[in-house]
Parts: sequence; structure tokens; C-alpha cells
Amino acid sequence: MQLGFLVDLHLCMGCKGCEIACKVENEVPLSTWRLRVKYVDVGTYPETKRTFTPLRCNHCENAPCERICPVSALHYIDNGIVNIDKERCIGCAGCVMACPYGAIYIDPETQTADKCTYCAHRIASSMMPACVVACPVEANIFGDLEDPTSNISRYIQGHTDVQVRKPEKGTNPHHYYVGASQAHLNPLASRREEGYNLFNNITKLPLGGHH
Amino acid sequence: MLHETLAATNAVVTLDVPLPDIFWGWYVTMNMWAKSIGTGLVFMLFLLLKKNSSEMDSLRTPTLIVSFVMMNVFLLFTWLDLHQMWRMWHIFFYPHMTSAITIGAWMATLFVGLEALMIAVMILKKDTATFDKLLFWVTLLAIPVTLYTAGIMAEATARELWQMPTESVQMLLAATLSGSAAIILLGGSKLSADSKKFFGAILGLSALMAFIVYMSEYIFGAMKAEEVAAILNYVKGDGEYATMFWIGQWVAYILPMILVALSRVSNSDSILSLAAILAIAGLWVVKHVWLVIPQLLPLS
Repeated sequence: MQLGFLVDLHLCMGCKGCEIACKVENEVPLSTWRLRVKYVDVGTYPETKRTFTPLRCNHCENAPCERICPVSALHYIDNGIVNIDKERCIGCAGCVMACPYGAIYIDPETQTADKCTYCAHRIASSMMPACVVACPVEANIFGDLEDPTSNISRYIQGHTDVQVRKPEKGTNPHHYYVGASQAHLNPLASRREEGYNLFNNITKLPLGGHH
Repeated sequence: MLHETLAATNAVVTLDVPLPDIFWGWYVTMNMWAKSIGTGLVFMLFLLLKKNSSEMDSLRTPTLIVSFVMMNVFLLFTWLDLHQMWRMWHIFFYPHMTSAITIGAWMATLFVGLEALMIAVMILKKDTATFDKLLFWVTLLAIPVTLYTAGIMAEATARELWQMPTESVQMLLAATLSGSAAIILLGGSKLSADSKKFFGAILGLSALMAFIVYMSEYIFGAMKAEEVAAILNYVKGDGEYATMFWIGQWVAYILPMILVALSRVSNSDSILSLAAILAIAGLWVVKHVWLVIPQLLPLS
């Protein structure tokens, strides 16, 4: 079994329901996110549109975080999920530095690394990840990539514009996007300008790091 | 602006709260800086043994003690940088051998243990023959101990700027630069004029080569990868770290090169000592800038 995610960006409307469901399900502390939705505004007025990209751990087949972890706190489980053992983590932040997707953070409460686990605890009880359940438009498609009859496999077979983030990194992500543009997936394809955020002057809580 | 940011798309991020940027800060700079001096001194002591062993007598113990102290400073900051520092023992009991952090921790521990043994051999038995035999093996071990941080940086795949070939060269040059500078200061009048010239030459050449590697990356790195180009913008023009970058380059490399040349012309020990002090101080700045800038780039 190889579990994977696919997000159909044609369907995503940026409601952030997945983000909130993840926060609640996993008790993700303030100022940190296992899953977040990025907004990028594209075009020049009046020809503008807003794009939405849910971002989470990609559960790479060749995961840099797993490789650099000195104590195997980050490890693969049989269904392909890159899981984390917070009791073993020493908080070296090697995984934070290695993940090309910025998906790992240091939990300010436990002072250990944390990230999306595809809700491994729910999957173990035959439940879907919380973000999948919360999505009102079924933009999140989750399932077994090794099963050609699964929803995700059929979705991949039926679409030609299936992409992953940063394929040049050789990480082989198990997280796919349909309907993505460079503005969605490439952090260098959009500008970040002071004053252009929907929420400016965001106050962040002190987190791990910043020595 | 990079080529993907087209005027036609005019893409602007309007909502994203990326995770905090600088995770490896000055604790890690201290780590790299102290380790460079610690292993560099061992390299220099070995060279002195091969070049002029008669000068070793008064330098064996003090040089090893300074190296040992710097290695412990390195280990201390490595430990302090852990968010769960009391779980450090996990590295030894749950080791993950694909990680350069694990391999490095094991090697550094062995290295410090051997250094302690060598100091004990000198202080308790004054056994220079055993010391010199051990020095050979410790010098061999100092090579991977110096290099493994480059391996960690290479495994930090999110930071495109850090590539193993250049970082390993920079780590070795940092060790020879700071090691030669430290032994010049430590040796003082105990070193002959000939040895001082020798270590001065190592200092000057290390500075020159390290400067060339940095300038190569500064000028040509941007042509290879868009992420590197974006990162190098932080040290170019009015970039956030441009001033600090050039202060580091001048203090660690350019001024020491000039001062080493001047000291050779004028046979001045004080100019050579000034070059050594600047090299050691500047190395910290250089290392810090190179550590921080890749962490400023948004990953999402």
C-alpha cells in the first residue's frame, strides 16, 4: 500500500476548512500549521483571479527529512506515510532544514518536530484524514496509489495535468496537484510584498529556533 | 525579479504564513567556527611535527588543550541548539546511519575522547612518543570531523546554496585558516621565524582559496539555479546581508592576505598576529552569513 494525496485546484475555493479541521484534529498549536492554504493573486485589475493552494507534507518516497533525522524519529510506515515519533525526536531541526516544502515545524509546546502525518492515527482506524472529511467540494482526494481502482489512481489516470511540487529535488512526492500553475507551486513565481497580504503585521508567537 | 515572475501573470502572494525562517542561527555558527579552530589546530600541530619536531616540545600540551576546549565549545553549542537537549543520548542509542548528524556526533565524540587521552598522556606520563603516534590517527580523524558539517548542509536539501563539493572545501579551508591563525597566536615566541612564515603562508593561501570559492559562488552560482540566484540576492546590492557578507570577506580573507604579505616583507610578528586575529574573527561572520541567507528564502 502506498497512500497519497491529490488536490484538484479547479475545485478548491480557499475556504480553509481543511486547515481548521487539521488544527482541531491534531491540536496544532497557535502560530504553527500542518496544513495551510496559500493565496496568490494573479493578473492585473480588472483581469485578476485568486488562486488557492493547500500545502502539507508531501510524504516523499525519497524523503530528505527521513534521511537527515539522526534518531529515526521521522520514519516510514508500511502504508508509505512518513510518520514522526515525537518521543524520540531530539529537536535538532535537521528535518526543518531538509524539507524543500517547508512542511515541518518545531512544536512550541513539545519542542519537537511535527508535521502532517496524513492523519495516520485516523487511517489506522479506517477513517479518512480530517482535511478530506472537512472539504466541502471534495477537492482533497486520498487513497492507495498502488491500487489502480482507487479514487486517487483513477483521478491521476483521467487527468493529464497532474503535477508535484519541486520535482527537480528528486524527492518523489506522494502528493499531487491537478490544475496547478507556476504561481501555485513555485515559490519563486510570485512576489511577496509588504502590505499586499490580506492580514498584515501578523504577530508570531516565539517558536523553536531563532537562536 | 526572476524569470518566472512574469508581468503578464503579476502573481502576488496575498495570504501565506510560512513557518519561521531562521532555525539554525548563531548557535550553529558558533558550532562551525569552534570546530574549525579545534580541528585546524590538530592539522597544524601535525604539520609542525613533520616540519620541525624540535619546536613541538613546548606546544604539544597547550595546543591540544586549546583544541580540546574549542571542540567542547563546539559540542556545547551543538547540544544547546537541540530543542530537546536532554534527549541527546538518543543519537547513540537510536542512531540513524544515513544522517550526517549521527555520523558526525559519533566521530566528534571519538575525536574529543582521543584528544583527552593525548592530554592525559602528556600531563600524567610526559610520553611524547605515544602522543605523536596518537597525533597521526587524530589528524586522520580530524578530516571527516571537519567535513561532516558539509554533509549535514548537503543533506539540508531545502537549502540549494549549500552543495557538498564547495562546502567541504570551505570547511577544510576554514580549518586550515583558523588553525594556522590560532597556532601563530598560541606559538608566539616558541615558534621559530621559519615556522611562523610557514604558518603565515598557510593562513594567506587558505584565505585566498576560500575567498576565490566564495567569489565563484557569488558570481557564477546564480547562473546555475534560480534558488541560488534568489538566495545570493540577500548578499548583493542592497540585500539584507550584503554589508555583513562583505565585512566577513574583508576581515576573514582580504585583510589577512594583505597583512600576511606585509608581515613577510617587513618580518613583522605583530602584523602576522593581527592577520591571525582578523582571520579568526572574520571567519565567524563569513560562516554566519552563509548559514543564514538560505533560510530567508520562502519554501512555499
